[in-house]
Amino acid sequence: MPNDEACVREEAAGGVSRRTFLTAGIVVLGGAISALLGATGLSYFISPAFKKDEEDWVDIGRASDMKPGAPLKVDFVARKRDAWVVTEKRSSAWVSTDGKEFTVFDPRCTHLGCPYRWDQAREQFLCPCHAAVFDAKGQVVSGPPPRPLDRFAAKVVEGRLLIQPQAIKGAA
Amino acid sequence: MRAPTMTEVRDWVNERTGFETVWNALLERHIPEAKGPVAWAYTLGSASMFVFTLQAVTGALLAMNYVPSTDHAYDSVRFIGSSVLMGGFIRGLHHYGASFMVVLVVAHMLRIYLMGSYKYPREGTWMVGVLLFLVVIGFGFTGYLLPWDQKAYWATAVGTNIAGQTPVVGGMVAKILKGGADMGAPTLTRFYALHVLVLPGVIGVLLGVHLFLVVWHGISEPPTRMGGKGGSRG
Repeated sequence: MPNDEACVREEAAGGVSRRTFLTAGIVVLGGAISALLGATGLSYFISPAFKKDEEDWVDIGRASDMKPGAPLKVDFVARKRDAWVVTEKRSSAWVSTDGKEFTVFDPRCTHLGCPYRWDQAREQFLCPCHAAVFDAKGQVVSGPPPRPLDRFAAKVVEGRLLIQPQAIKGAA
Repeated sequence: MRAPTMTEVRDWVNERTGFETVWNALLERHIPEAKGPVAWAYTLGSASMFVFTLQAVTGALLAMNYVPSTDHAYDSVRFIGSSVLMGGFIRGLHHYGASFMVVLVVAHMLRIYLMGSYKYPREGTWMVGVLLFLVVIGFGFTGYLLPWDQKAYWATAVGTNIAGQTPVVGGMVAKILKGGADMGAPTLTRFYALHVLVLPGVIGVLLGVHLFLVVWHGISEPPTRMGGKGGSRG
């Protein structure tokens, strides 16, 4: 680094030269600005790693409308928020209740995804595609399905039945 | 085997890259002596470059959450402000930085003009600088549309209509800017592509040439009065 004669003189006299002082100033201020901006930008960039998954509860009706006995097929529209995109998907679920607890089944057969139906006379779920049969609790009675009916998480809030239409695999 | 000292590492790299020559040429070069406001006026070019760097970094971050589509642009910008950590701050930096960038390059241009720094042999630096100024204005014009809110939409409607007033070629220019007869989806994608792909490429090349010329010619002295008395050398 080329040094002016003045710098050499000042430093020889035991002082801090103007050049050294300004260099230190640039390093300190520049470092502070870079650290602040860098930390801000970095937190923006890595923030998805610390974001909690949002729970998408779908309101599918009054809980008191669901009576014990025959399971009820409920159609609903699931609004899913994906950052700035909101998608609406028409879907349905089978709801059965004993009057207190609610059990909500994914409306697709666990064999190959066909929509099944409730047979009131036999009190069983029947799938038309490959003759699968499930009982009222979703357990496999006969046919090819590898596991019981998939369920949706359900809860009652202020008299409304809320579900999360993401299948919980093979929960019995 | 002992660990190499810092000096040895520096010498090793320097021998293979010659970075010290570049470093000295860029940062250890001689600049005119000046004091007070005149000295501050010499910092305007570097200040513009600092804000430009800031715009590039914040812009890259914003682009991670922005969609140049008429149905999602506004929502994605709102999402940045409401749901991304520090999103509002990053967008604020880019927003105010954009305005400040224009202020700085105009001030820089005035400094060059008022001190006569554009004169021989620095005409090339000045000409490239004028192009850089136009690119900065282009950044401002194209970036203004991207939030796709009422202000953005109508400002661009006015801007493209002004272009449309040009005799003979106006209609064509307006259509090229808008990507069609009316403003809409193609206008937004066009402005986005210009803002984040075309103009950054252009400004990179022009800035490289501009900086090379600045270093090549050195910084001009502040003007002095005839007869050597007074002037701004203090």
